[in-house]
Amino acid sequence: MGTVITPSAVDQFRAIVGSDRVLSEPLERLVYAKDGSMNQGECGLAVLCETTAEVAACVRLAAERGLPIVPRGSGTSLAGSAIPLDGSVVISVARMGRVLSVDPDTPSAWVEPGVLNLDLTAAVAHLGLHYAPDPSSQAACSIGGNVGTNAGGPHCLASGVTAQHILGVEIVLPDGEVLEIGGPAPDPPGYDLRGFIVGGEGTLGIVTKVCVRLTRNPPVVRTLLIDFTALTAAGAAVRDIIAKGVIPAAMEMMDRTMTRAVEAFVHAGLPVDAAAVLLVELDGTAAQVAADTAVVERICRESGASHIRVAADEAERALFWKARKNAFGACARIAPNYYLHDCVVPRTRLVEVLAAIEEIAARNDLVIMNVFHAGDGNLHPLISFDRRDDAQVTRVLQAGREIIEVCMRVGGTLSGEHGIGMEKRDFMPLQFSPADLDAQARSREAFDPEGRMNPRKVLPAGSKCGDLSFPHDALPEGTWI
Amino acid sequence: MSEDELRPPPIRPANWLPGIAAPAAEDIVSCVSCGLCLPHCPTFRLTGRETASPRGRIAAMRAVQEGQATVDATFRTMMDECLACRACETACPSGVPFGRMIEAARAQVEQVRPIRARGPRALGLKYVLPRPWAVYAAGTGLGLAQALRLDRLAPAAARVVSPRISLRQLARPLPQAMGTGPTAALLCGCVMDVAFRDVQRDTMRAVAGSGYRAVRFRPGGCCGALAMHYGYPEAARRMARERIAECEDAEVIVVNSAGCSNHMKTWGHLLADEPRWAARAEAAAARVRDLLEMPLVTRVRDLGTIACHDACHHVNGQALGPDLRRIVSSTGATPVEIPGGGHCCGAAGLYSVLEPELSAQLRRDKAEAISATGASSVAVANPGCAIQIAAGLREIASPIRVVHPAQLIR
Repeated sequence: MGTVITPSAVDQFRAIVGSDRVLSEPLERLVYAKDGSMNQGECGLAVLCETTAEVAACVRLAAERGLPIVPRGSGTSLAGSAIPLDGSVVISVARMGRVLSVDPDTPSAWVEPGVLNLDLTAAVAHLGLHYAPDPSSQAACSIGGNVGTNAGGPHCLASGVTAQHILGVEIVLPDGEVLEIGGPAPDPPGYDLRGFIVGGEGTLGIVTKVCVRLTRNPPVVRTLLIDFTALTAAGAAVRDIIAKGVIPAAMEMMDRTMTRAVEAFVHAGLPVDAAAVLLVELDGTAAQVAADTAVVERICRESGASHIRVAADEAERALFWKARKNAFGACARIAPNYYLHDCVVPRTRLVEVLAAIEEIAARNDLVIMNVFHAGDGNLHPLISFDRRDDAQVTRVLQAGREIIEVCMRVGGTLSGEHGIGMEKRDFMPLQFSPADLDAQARSREAFDPEGRMNPRKVLPAGSKCGDLSFPHDALPEGTWI
Repeated sequence: MSEDELRPPPIRPANWLPGIAAPAAEDIVSCVSCGLCLPHCPTFRLTGRETASPRGRIAAMRAVQEGQATVDATFRTMMDECLACRACETACPSGVPFGRMIEAARAQVEQVRPIRARGPRALGLKYVLPRPWAVYAAGTGLGLAQALRLDRLAPAAARVVSPRISLRQLARPLPQAMGTGPTAALLCGCVMDVAFRDVQRDTMRAVAGSGYRAVRFRPGGCCGALAMHYGYPEAARRMARERIAECEDAEVIVVNSAGCSNHMKTWGHLLADEPRWAARAEAAAARVRDLLEMPLVTRVRDLGTIACHDACHHVNGQALGPDLRRIVSSTGATPVEIPGGGHCCGAAGLYSVLEPELSAQLRRDKAEAISATGASSVAVANPGCAIQIAAGLREIASPIRVVHPAQLIR
């Protein structure tokens, strides 16, 4: 089922971008067959583009040759979105890393897709601005990838996820045509396709320019680190804080195992004996922050918080966030691999879901760590394992399915921010009816009728009514389905 | 269907070349592929290539470890492109020991390097560097060539990164000992003793001025860091044994070059498998002090603003960044930060010679960043960096002077 990429096709890609930016050796392709998840695919060829024109030429060439394509930014995706399957051609935009223009008045900026999330914020910091969505991998992940997965992040609790911050995109469609959709104007005429493109996981085209909304830095920021003696107590505090009408800028939770793993790296003096640590950030005017702090502190104490530490200065605040944002990466301190889930559950059900996850871990004899966006109920149960242990891998996959089923049962969703990719694809029918999936498959087909963009991702085989999951032209003409 | 796809590919026997050091399986599995190292890797930043990133390099090591790939020319290129600056190691939340992994991988790739390229490396690393007279002879040769302007015949890329050798300095003998107090053994090293003799002299004064009897190693020579970085661990072990034997009486072992001090602190690990040496190596390593760690007595002078360049092996592995600034401040100078200061200058041992293209780009970026500080000089505590940065500043006609912290102390 692998794609065949002939030497002459490789030469044609070389003619477009130069031979040093076409990677065709087996080992090079192996390196491009992975992302930040536990999965591995099969890469047929990796091509590094520098301009929209190069991307368009490569996409046109792939169209002529009938080759499947997967766009890639930094490759930090967590559900296999950037992983090529069946020998697809990887089109990397990692070299497209320029901030093209900044409009401090709107405020917005046009950037290339390879710009790293944190680099964008650094580039506009002197204007008192930042780019609000801040995935934990923000130091490494690219804006293009953020658009692809509709990435979230701790501060998306108050400011909204990526979709709310993308004003426009330039996209290369699967036939090589270049389209500009939206822009800094508040309400673009015609259909607003931005919401469809954002979160498209590279199945609709390759985004080559992005117009992002920028956000003014808040006047006052206060960050609290609160420890609890029970995970469920922390969950209850989260529920009650929001119920009281306080929407913190961010509200994050880490359990004990995770806290210990990350403390070994950051040395921030985290409470390694607490069952759960809540990181709450409040921002706004001084008066508002003071009032919100009082509410948060009172609720946490009532819920059984054992200690509340307020970041003394910007350095300590940065340290708290360094701890939170390096959590996934620190997991190898527990075991070599992780299987990460990304379900969102109603905040009112947080406590029971956390208890259920604990039970699933115990029953399957696994270590499951929790570090998540508590404020919006976006869980990240992280199953730690060693892939060299086959029996354990079986239990890991089983536990993963059980976690998803629990989340679905309480009215949750499959993914908050990491995307569906290959890893969550076959769970889609748990969330969507056949009619839903059919509508999504048809919308995707409108962009990519040949099914060459990131094939076998997001939607499971058979999503379209009458889809027998093999190419239409494989059926003899006149066959009645 | 889905579960099969999510199941990791089968693990086959490792394809490491037998009898040669190889990255440890347990080190390889300590990487979860999160990618948080990527922005810290200078070669990834330059190329955008996963194959030129720490995560990609570890993926390649894992592929060999798990039998999916072999140690071939592609693997060799990937390992050669690494600066071994170890910025990824500092950034890694899981504490992946990338430095020792790349060193082991380099030992593997030496075996698949064509003999024409391997010959000069082996000659230099195994035979010239350990012998002070050979290094001295090579330095004299280079100095003569430069004096007679014969170096113009050499390729431009090599000429740019050659240290400037002063024949006058070479002819002037260095004192063997200085000061009174507990003994501080000074590493003579390789390139420091021929290209930076004035720094060697100032280091001696600085150490003596801090209440030690500063004594040069006899007969001295290379610490073995370069051999270790470039795939000759046997030679590195030999040099470690020689140096350890030379300085066992000393209270402390003082080193004024970041790459050397960092390497010498790993002597215990390096000789752990040699029963006769393990304990001695451990003890010697514990007495190694980078010059920046010494209780130096400084004198306030009017030195203006000094840009602080962190040698990679000072900040990644030794965490000595604050010490450089402390010393600069203590001389009355104003330390200034270099934009993007965390990135390697591209000197990286022999990198400027072996990978001239990537190195030249890093050199230009670093020189421009230093120039942007408007400082009157830049403090650099590693010979490789000093040569590279001086070359970079010359290339952009910057008047900024390169100084070693030892030269600030007098």
